Order: sequence, then C-alpha cells, then structure tokens
Amino acid sequence: MKAFFSRLKQRFDFGYLVALVISLFVALLIGTVILTVTGYDTGKALGALVGGSFSSKLYFGNMLEYAMVLCLCGLACDVGSRAGIFNVGGEGQLILGALFAAQIGVWLKDVSPWIAIPCAALGAIAVGGFYAFIPGILKVKLKVNEVITTIMLNSIAVFICGYFSKGPWKNPSPRVVSDTSPLNRSFMFTKLIPASNLSTAILISAGLTFLVWYILQKTTKGYEMRLVGDNPRFARFAGLKADRIVIIAMVVSGMMCGLVGMFRVYGAAGKYQSSISNDYYFEGLMVAMIAQYQPIPTIIISLIFAVLKWGAIYMEDTVGVPIQIYWIIQTAVIFCMAGEKGVRAAIHKAREKRAAQREILARREGGEAHE
Amino acid sequence: MTDEIRFEHISMEFPGVLANDDISLSIRNGEVFALVGENGAGKSTLMNILYGINTPTAGELYVRGEKITNFSPKAAIDRGIGMVHQHFMLVPSFTVAQNIALGREPKTAGVLFDNKKAEQITRELVKEYGLEVDPSAEVRDISVGLQQRVEILKTLYRGADILILDEPTAVLTPQETDELFDVIRRLVHEKELTVIIITHKLNEVMAISDRVGVMRQGKLIGVENTCDVDEKKLASMMVGRPVLFDHLEKTGVPGDVAIEVDDLYVADNRGLPAVRGVSFSVRKGEVLGIAAIEGNGQSELLEAITGMRKINRGKVTVCGADATGKTPGEIRELGLSHVPEDRLSTGVDKVASVTDNLLVGKQKEKRFNLFGFHQRRSTVERYAEELYEKFDIRGAGIHTEVGSMSGGNMQKVVVAREFSFDTPVLVISQPTRGVDIGAMEFFHTRIIEQRNAGAAILLSSADLDEVFRLSDRIITLYEGKITGEFRADEITKEEIGLYMTGTGEGAKA
Repeated sequence: MKAFFSRLKQRFDFGYLVALVISLFVALLIGTVILTVTGYDTGKALGALVGGSFSSKLYFGNMLEYAMVLCLCGLACDVGSRAGIFNVGGEGQLILGALFAAQIGVWLKDVSPWIAIPCAALGAIAVGGFYAFIPGILKVKLKVNEVITTIMLNSIAVFICGYFSKGPWKNPSPRVVSDTSPLNRSFMFTKLIPASNLSTAILISAGLTFLVWYILQKTTKGYEMRLVGDNPRFARFAGLKADRIVIIAMVVSGMMCGLVGMFRVYGAAGKYQSSISNDYYFEGLMVAMIAQYQPIPTIIISLIFAVLKWGAIYMEDTVGVPIQIYWIIQTAVIFCMAGEKGVRAAIHKAREKRAAQREILARREGGEAHE
Repeated sequence: MTDEIRFEHISMEFPGVLANDDISLSIRNGEVFALVGENGAGKSTLMNILYGINTPTAGELYVRGEKITNFSPKAAIDRGIGMVHQHFMLVPSFTVAQNIALGREPKTAGVLFDNKKAEQITRELVKEYGLEVDPSAEVRDISVGLQQRVEILKTLYRGADILILDEPTAVLTPQETDELFDVIRRLVHEKELTVIIITHKLNEVMAISDRVGVMRQGKLIGVENTCDVDEKKLASMMVGRPVLFDHLEKTGVPGDVAIEVDDLYVADNRGLPAVRGVSFSVRKGEVLGIAAIEGNGQSELLEAITGMRKINRGKVTVCGADATGKTPGEIRELGLSHVPEDRLSTGVDKVASVTDNLLVGKQKEKRFNLFGFHQRRSTVERYAEELYEKFDIRGAGIHTEVGSMSGGNMQKVVVAREFSFDTPVLVISQPTRGVDIGAMEFFHTRIIEQRNAGAAILLSSADLDEVFRLSDRIITLYEGKITGEFRADEITKEEIGLYMTGTGEGAKA
C-alpha cells in the first residue's frame, strides 16, 4: 500500500494540483468580489459562470469545440517547448491554415468531399508548418530569438489574410467585406450537436491529442526532444542532431496550428472570416504555460477554461455581466500559477529547516552515545 | 602563544544540511593552521562564519577573547580578518594599485581618485611585506600567482592580521605554490600574522602548516600537530576509512595510433587564437596527459577534437578516419567518448532523471525500442539500475533528478555513461574536479582499467598529481602551443612547472 502511494506520488505532482485548485479558487474569489462591488446578483452570476456551459446543448457543444481549439493550440505550444523553442506564432499559423483551407475548398467545390477535405487539411498543415519553419530555421542558423520572429510573423499573417480575404479570394457578393466564399455544404464536418460548433472534428482532435501525448511521453523521439529542450549543449555533446530536432518540433507545432484553422473553417464557420480566431492560440498558449507544458494538464486546463468562457458568455446573456469578468478570472489564475513555484519552494524550505533543527536536537541528545 | 580565535560549539545549518556540527576549535596567534576535508565537509562554511558571511545557528565565536555578536564581512575586516577567496575578486581592467586601494581610496580634493598616492601606498606595502608586484600593471596582464599576491596585499592594506586563504594553490603552478609558501612563512615569522589555509592537498598541509584540523561531514574530526601526522593518516581521517593510494597497475604495450592531431588552430569564445599549431598523437593502450595552467588552450583543444568547437586550421584523425569539422555525434560514431570539462553545462541534463542521463547516446539501440519508436521504459530502467550499481552511484535511486546530486555522484553518472560506450578512444577532461578523495580513487582505477583494456586516452586535468599518476606520456601546453613532451616517469613536477609557464629549457614558444 505504501509502495502504491509512493508510486502515485512519483507520477502525479500533488503540489501542482493543489496550487491549481487554490489559484482557481482565488480567481473565483476575486471575481466574486468584483461582482459584489459592481452590484450584480453575485450568486446568480457565479452560478451562470460555472454552470452556463451546461445550461443547454448549444452551450455545451460550443464549450467542447472551444476546449478542443484550446487543447490543440496548447499542445502545439507544448511540442515546441519540449524541444526548447517557444512558438508564439501559432495565431498566424492558425489563420493562414484557415485561409488556405477555406480557399482550397472553394477551388475544389465541385469535387468529391473525400478528396476536397483531405486536400484542405493537407494544405492547412503545409501552410502552418511552413510558417513555423521560418522562425525555426532562423533560430537554429542565425540564433534569432523565435519569440520576436513569431510575433512579427503573426502580424504579417494577419495582413496576408486581410489582403486575400478582401481581395483576390473575396466572396464576390457585395454584402460581405472580408470573407471567402462559403464552402460547399457537403464539405463540412458533421455536427455532433445541431446548430452548435461541435462537429466530428473533435474526434480527430481527440486522436491527435492522444498521439501528441504518446509521442512526447512514451517514444524515443519525445525523449530526444526533451533532452534538446532541457540542455541543447548537452544534446549536441551527446551526439543528437539538436538543430534538426528543434526545427522539426517547431514545424510540427505549426502544422497543428494550421490544422486547428482548418477545423475552425470546416467544423464551425464554413468559410474564412476575420473572426475565425480571436487570439485563440494565445489563450491556448496561456493554457500550456499554466500546464507547465505538460500534455495531460493541458487537456484538463483547456476544459476548465472552456467551461468558464462559455459560462461567461451565458452569464452575459442572462445576468448581463460583461464577459470581461472571464478575462479577469483567467488572468488571476495565471498570476496565481506563476507564483506557484515560489510558494512551493517556500513551503519546502520551511519544512527542510524544521527537519534540520530536529536533527540537530536529536544528534545533540543521542549523538554522543553513538560515537 | 595565545588563542587568537576560538570557536565554541559552533553549528551552522542550511535548509536540509547541517554544514557545521558542534565545532569547538582554537587557533593560536602566529601559526599556520590548515583546515582540510573533502568537498562539502564544512571547511568553507566555518571560515565564512569567521569572515562574517554566515551567522552561526548555534555556538559562540571569540576573536582575541572578544565575543562576536554582529556577523558581517565589514565588521570582520575591522577586526583584522582578511580572506582571499578561491576566485579572485579583482577588477581586471584596473591597475594593481587601484585594486588594492579599492574600498579605501585615497582622494584629492575630496572626490577624485589619487592614483599617485595609491601607487605610493602599494609600493610601501610591497616593501614592507616583501611581496614583489608592479603597482602600475593592469591586473588582467599579470599572472594568476601575482593576482593572488595582489589579493593578499589588499587584505593587508585593510589591516588584516588574520589571513584566511581558501584553496590558494588550486590555480598555481608548483613554482608559484612554492613562492606563495615562502610569502606565508615570511608573513607569519616577521609580521606575526595568523594564517588559516583551507585545502584538500595533503602534501601542502605537510609543507606549510604548524597544526592541522580535519573536518568530515560537518564535524571536526581532530586537530593535530602537523609534525605528528603523515598524509596517510590525514587522508583516512578525512574519508573516514583507510585510503589506499596504491600504485595503479599499468599493463600492456601501446598499440596503433588512435588520435592524431596535426597542426591544429582553434579560437576561444572571444575569437582569439587559443590553440596555435598543436600536433600530437595518442596510441591505443596509453594515457596522454595534458599539463597546463588553466586558460592555455587545453579546454579549446579538447573541444575541437570532440567536435564541440570549430577548427580553424589543421586536421584531427580519430581511429584512422578524418574527424575535422565533423559534429560531436559523427565523431562519437568514429569511436570516441568524452567526459567534458564542465559537467553541469555540457555533461548532463540537470532536470532529467539519472535514468534518462544514463541512456543518452544509446536511446536508438534496438533493445530500448519497439519498431525504433516506442521507448521500452522497463528495459531502460533495468539498464540504468545496472550501471547505477556498477559505478557505485550513490543517491536516491535512478529516478533522482541529476541536478540534485553531489558533484562526485553527478560525475559518476557522466563517467558511467561515457565509459559504457566502450569506445577505443576516450577524451577525459577534469575527471575529479570537485570530487572527494574516496571517489577520486574510484575514477582513477576506472580510467586505468580502460587504458589496460586498450583504450587510447587523452586526459586533461588541473590537478598535476593526477596527470602524473595516470599518464604514460605528458605534453605541456603554454599559450596554445606545446612546450614539451615527456615520459611521465622521466620528469618531476617541478621541471614540468617550468614548461607550463613557457620558461622551460628548449621551450618552443
């Protein structure tokens, strides 16, 4: 029994779990205070925030789709971080993937969905991957900081998408400003809950999530990525092709983001539009950071944030509390989690100090007899 | 003689560590007291208490009969205590005089630094204590031995009459060590200074000290008159068991050439030439030792051979194949393993487990993989367990984070991994830096085992004793050039010291 618990302890980081629960609690508390101060019906608002996602099929479906997006974006960030490259450019990779997937659908509107959909997916993956390859190769060959390049590339992506969706690839209808033409209905993923955003894309995402977890945690490739991410000099010293691993991790991260863009178009929107992603990747990035770039926490935290997000939307609709309360809560969680390491270290230190004191006393009393 | 310093029941605890455990010790006026012990025995902690850096958790400290209540370096300096740290605290771009005056600068018009006065003060100090240095030379231009003198002068200028020297000979050549000891003797006899030397080199304890205190695991094991003990006795006190520095049995005859270096040129991190036209070869079944003072190109040389550093000119051959300009991975495939100089930044993944660190380089082997993809964790762990046992790694098991282990055990992880490749060529740098005496023995035995089994070994170490003990042949490097090549049994440490400073006869530099 004792052995079982020590194994469990080794596998699960209880300190992290405790910190997560506490920070969620603190964040909700802060939310409560703000709600009370601003004069809303606190009980009702909180109830809506936490339970809103489960209030109807529509909300539930939208919540799950959002969790899927967050989770894939978070995992994309995990993949890069594992090899020591921080992909901040997922937003650009995502919207470019969405744009190209949408336009491929337009080009292939008369062919069978069995050809068009895979083509669109491959196109999105290729574009996302290529867009991540640029900062990857710059980092490896010229030591250019990837955070800077990816942020810049995000802006470029926004302008590229703006240009194409308002220009050459614009829906010819004069009533729209910056959308591509709508997809052939038969190209869309089947909805799992009618009218909601939830489609069969979530099944593919679940498979993909499992695959990422498996590769990162259980394979030789994942092991090599971790070595490179932890200490690139050591990895090179030990004979790993560190540069190649970094680039591959970055490209895979970009591919995943591109595919998320495709999912957004083929699962929910039905075309490219500028609202295809509202900084969804950045939210996924925050999820990954809170999860300390570990796959399983990334999945769990994606779900929590999705529940709160659609709960907040519900709260806005029913109680009238602005959705900004969700942002406040999310930010508070990030703050608390950022302090998690410090708090844990302080607790650890105090504990060790007490143990040392006890040891001194014990040795003073019993020590002489031993010598 | 009277008691200059008295520690009474001093204890010092850091989180999780009892660094000093109930230490009572008196140090007399005008003696040279050596404090010896392995790494982590608590020597530096005890001296840091005396110098006011640490405040003891329990116990009392008396200096000249006065009980110390406020612990701070400033108060310690005011009491006449001076400390020369292992890593010098000098400003390289300042002159000797400026460095000495730093903190107590002579001023003109109340604000401006009076350089002339500072140089005059320095000259007076030099004369008074007989420590020859040029006051107007910039510190970065003078040798390490002289820099140490500047450090000593600096403490004397601040009025120190109790001098603590932390591992003073670690960076010195044998000649410089002898000179330092002359200085210490003079300071003690003529100026009646009290000198405390922290060290783990026992021959130096015998050479310089009047009394010696031995520490182990935070406790003071014993205090002896130096003339009453010998090195063997001290070593066994330090380790807690008899240490046998047996003669290492070297067998076999050298075979084919396995490493060949031809007219090699390599630059350092700043792009300045560090290795300038070095050529040598190592045969199978022999150890070639590199004797050089730190910063004379030995680090860059080994990094170039192993592919960690760019080669500007020249050629490296490993096991008959050209290794010039290849990546570390490609050179490893030619049959080379490498124990790096800096194990923390190059030799391990600190945040990974012992298991993961031992596996590196073997992760693609069939037995650790299914379909070259899925890692067979249980086989990996069994393998790690095996090496853990075989190399006598001591820690909390194979799941321990390597960064939390002691230097010696971390080095065992590195050596276990590198030696397990069983390659015909081994490049080993600083095998026992920061490693205690007990483990040192272990590493030496292992290295000679590999040699006797036919490995070609290129060894670099700052510890000259170690170079002598392990090597068949020794080359000396000075400013990036080879200044001499010797059979280890045909030269003495003193002679080799001359070649290490470029002053040996026939020096090519």
